[in-house]
Amino acid sequence: MDYFFQNLINALQWGSFYAVISIGYSMVYGVLMLFNFAHGDIFMVGTYIGFGIATMLLTLFSAFMPGWVIFILVVVITMFLASFVGVFVEVVGYRPLRGAPRASAAITGLMIGIIFETGNLIILGAQRFSFPPLIKSVSYNVGGVYFTNVKVLIIVVSLILMLALHTFIQKSKWGMAMRAMSYDFMAVPLMGVSINVIAPLTFAIGAGLASVAGILYGQAYPVLDPYMGIQLGWKAFVAAILGGRGSIMGAALAGYLLGFIEMFVPMVFPSTFRDLIAYSIILVILTFRPRGFFGMAHSTQLRL
Amino acid sequence: MIKKFFRILSVVPLAGWLLGGFTAVLIEYYLGDLISYYLYLPKVPVLFGTLIMLKEPLLIPSALAYNLIVYILPILLVGRLLAPVMNGLAALLEKRPLWLATIIHLVAFYGILHMWAGINDYRVLVVKLTMIAIILTISLNIINGYQGEFSCSHPGFMALGAYASSTLTLLLFANDKMFGEALLNPALGPWLFPVVLFIGGLVAALGSLIVAIPSFRTRGDYLAIISLAFLFIVKSAIENLEIIGGPRGMSSQPNYATLPVVFIWMSLCIWIIHNFTTSVMGKALNAVRDNEPAANSMTVNTRKTKMTAFMFGAFWAGVAGGLFAHVLRYVNPSTFGLQKLAEILAMVYFGGLNSIYGSIVGAVSISVLGEALRPLQLFKWIIIPLILILVMIFRPHGLISFTELNVKEVMRPRNKERSEGGE
Amino acid sequence: MAPLLSVIDMTHYFGGLCAVNNFNLAIEPGQIKGLIGPNGAGKTTVFNLITGVYTPTEGTIELMGKNIKGLETHRIASMGLGRTFQNLALWRHMNVLDHIRMAHYSQLSYGLFGAFFGTPKCREQEDQVIDNSYKLLQLFDVKQFATQNIGNLPYGAQRRVEMARAMATKPKVLFLDEPTAGMTPDELIRMIEIIRQVHRDFGVAIFLIEHRMKFVMELCESIQTLVFGEVIAEGPPEEIQNNPEVIEAYLGKEDVH
Repeated sequence: MDYFFQNLINALQWGSFYAVISIGYSMVYGVLMLFNFAHGDIFMVGTYIGFGIATMLLTLFSAFMPGWVIFILVVVITMFLASFVGVFVEVVGYRPLRGAPRASAAITGLMIGIIFETGNLIILGAQRFSFPPLIKSVSYNVGGVYFTNVKVLIIVVSLILMLALHTFIQKSKWGMAMRAMSYDFMAVPLMGVSINVIAPLTFAIGAGLASVAGILYGQAYPVLDPYMGIQLGWKAFVAAILGGRGSIMGAALAGYLLGFIEMFVPMVFPSTFRDLIAYSIILVILTFRPRGFFGMAHSTQLRL
Repeated sequence: MIKKFFRILSVVPLAGWLLGGFTAVLIEYYLGDLISYYLYLPKVPVLFGTLIMLKEPLLIPSALAYNLIVYILPILLVGRLLAPVMNGLAALLEKRPLWLATIIHLVAFYGILHMWAGINDYRVLVVKLTMIAIILTISLNIINGYQGEFSCSHPGFMALGAYASSTLTLLLFANDKMFGEALLNPALGPWLFPVVLFIGGLVAALGSLIVAIPSFRTRGDYLAIISLAFLFIVKSAIENLEIIGGPRGMSSQPNYATLPVVFIWMSLCIWIIHNFTTSVMGKALNAVRDNEPAANSMTVNTRKTKMTAFMFGAFWAGVAGGLFAHVLRYVNPSTFGLQKLAEILAMVYFGGLNSIYGSIVGAVSISVLGEALRPLQLFKWIIIPLILILVMIFRPHGLISFTELNVKEVMRPRNKERSEGGE
Repeated sequence: MAPLLSVIDMTHYFGGLCAVNNFNLAIEPGQIKGLIGPNGAGKTTVFNLITGVYTPTEGTIELMGKNIKGLETHRIASMGLGRTFQNLALWRHMNVLDHIRMAHYSQLSYGLFGAFFGTPKCREQEDQVIDNSYKLLQLFDVKQFATQNIGNLPYGAQRRVEMARAMATKPKVLFLDEPTAGMTPDELIRMIEIIRQVHRDFGVAIFLIEHRMKFVMELCESIQTLVFGEVIAEGPPEEIQNNPEVIEAYLGKEDVH
């Protein structure tokens, strides 16, 4: 039973990464009807930015500022910078292809992601960087279950972010515009809200969220890698689709589900079966419920 | 000025260019070493000097000169000067059945390829891999271009074919440490290799049903995910099957994938797919893609059409996988992951959707470019994605899309009188 | 004489909403019948129910004595029920000739093997298809556009191609869904001629949906009026024209062309 709760905490933590990243995918997918295959790599870039900011702030301020203040500063500054990366991807990669078939836009995204990965390798070399710890790790033992404050932090921050996003989308003017666009792409510009504002905004938010996920990831798994975006990114992408088009909550839920599957499968099967089982489950779900969990039954024809 | 240049060259028929190519290859075969020596090149440039130009910029003029002397000038001169003769030949062939003219041209082309590659093992490898890339690209075009789906499962189909065929050849024709003694006489191997490849293709086609059947109910986005899941499942399944080598893979496949073998399969692939896509049954893929309700009302069986597209595309991917495994004589699951997917998608979308021409262009360009940029190592994966992004922005369907291959047109004589004869 | 197409008491619910209620239709060979009604009345739904896009909740549908309810659309089409579409369901990347060739799909018997290897049987049938397609193009006066992409043609020509395509399926009954939508008065007159020609030369029975009264009056021998899924009037054109309920349903929306 302890083992179960232990894994539960791990699953919640692991699922948090998927959830926060997949929300970014789901937003872009819902609002702009786009697969942004570069999102996983935006997550990677965000993580490296976070690493840079963290290292800088730690050397400058760690002497006279408590850890949690630096942590908050790192998060805020990284989100800010990462949002520019998101806007850059939209303006350079997707805006020129707005009228083009969506498959072509998808390929472009894929290529941008590759350029990010290779660019990272070229600029920073093959050296593996280690994300500095921003919170002093404290272990707790509750009823035989061991967990650290970092794990709790990850789960809590992720939930806060999701709640913040949900509020933004439901309550703010821009959020309303984004929701409107996900129902009818054409209606929003006709109402006077420019796509050229909504689109970069959506990307910026997604990138910002992904970068926070990166900082959190860096706390739990400090070793950074230019290809870290691929594994997490593609799975988060699958989670976004599983959650259903236009449903950010669905994406988050699917992210946690994926985290659960990946943490609990090794309890029963050998760990090498993890991917196999996870994707088979996803395949089965999608075969019988093609719309995903909460997806709108929209005829998403990929028109050539 | 340039227009005049092209106009002068427009009278050269395909046969003329082939003759020019043949001359160039002969020059290289007999005089290549000599010419390289006098140009201060360390040896005969392997890939048109691109590798040399990138590694030693001082030798760029020499490399360019080599290309000029050995390739460009002979091809242009022989092609243009002997155009009247070759036009006569082309006119003669035009009267004969189409298959005769095609076979003659194909054999001639193969001869050139064989001689060109014969100089160096590296060239053989590049040519073989390029031809396999052509098969892969055309087969993906069937699903993504003609049928208009977005399928990410092609490396999975390739893997199924590669492993199925490797298992068969190792089991039946080779004495190896994985499966022990050969079950059949190894001498039969080269003769039964086509059967083995065919079975590999069938396995891939059967596997494609996992993606094809959901495609009846879903389109576009959700199918993309299902196909992606398929890719990961195949890869993961192979990694977990120790009996076929697991993550370490299989090696020492017999050397059955020789240059003529690969060339024949590529030609077969192009021929069969060309027949299919120009027939009414092939056009059904387009009809279902562009307006499914209309296709239905025009008696097209949409389910059968989608299934055909997936299985047919997967079959050829499986064949390509089998050839690939026997060219490299080594397979392992990591080959068939996201990187391979990105490569194949790049070739299809760069070359052009819904077009065999486009796929050939895309496969050759990206393959050769990939090899030529090898000295630049990492920058290769900046340049190729950049080129692709540019193509996507300016020609979203790819360089040559929706253009049919017209073999008769390609081989016809190009005398002035004919082309002005009004068509 | 047994009717070509027989629809008896066809009713269909979308969830809780009754879209079509007790629809009846009998088409004898050579007849031209019409279906009119205000927007949203369910006319296209009637078409979709009979052609197999949806399976009606209740009712009987028989084509030449054989049941077609529950069959797939392409099966019904190959059995002799052709149709055109309100929104010109064309294939944007195909040329005109291929549109017509495509409709011959069910008439081919050379199978995949034939298609892959270009067997003599395949080539023979394909040549026949091309021949027949050109004949149809000629008949509908669009032969000159044969190798052009369908998108390049003017609207009227596109409509004629659509007609030719539907006729290529060798239908016994032809369903026309608002065939004159978006046409100019000249094109409309031409369309009437074409439909008459099709009726005469191919001997096909026709069932059409239309808004334009003049068109319907000219062509149909009998008209049903559909309002909110129910037929409120049925009879020859003169009767329908003067029927007060019909006029009320349209609320004076009479296209006087």
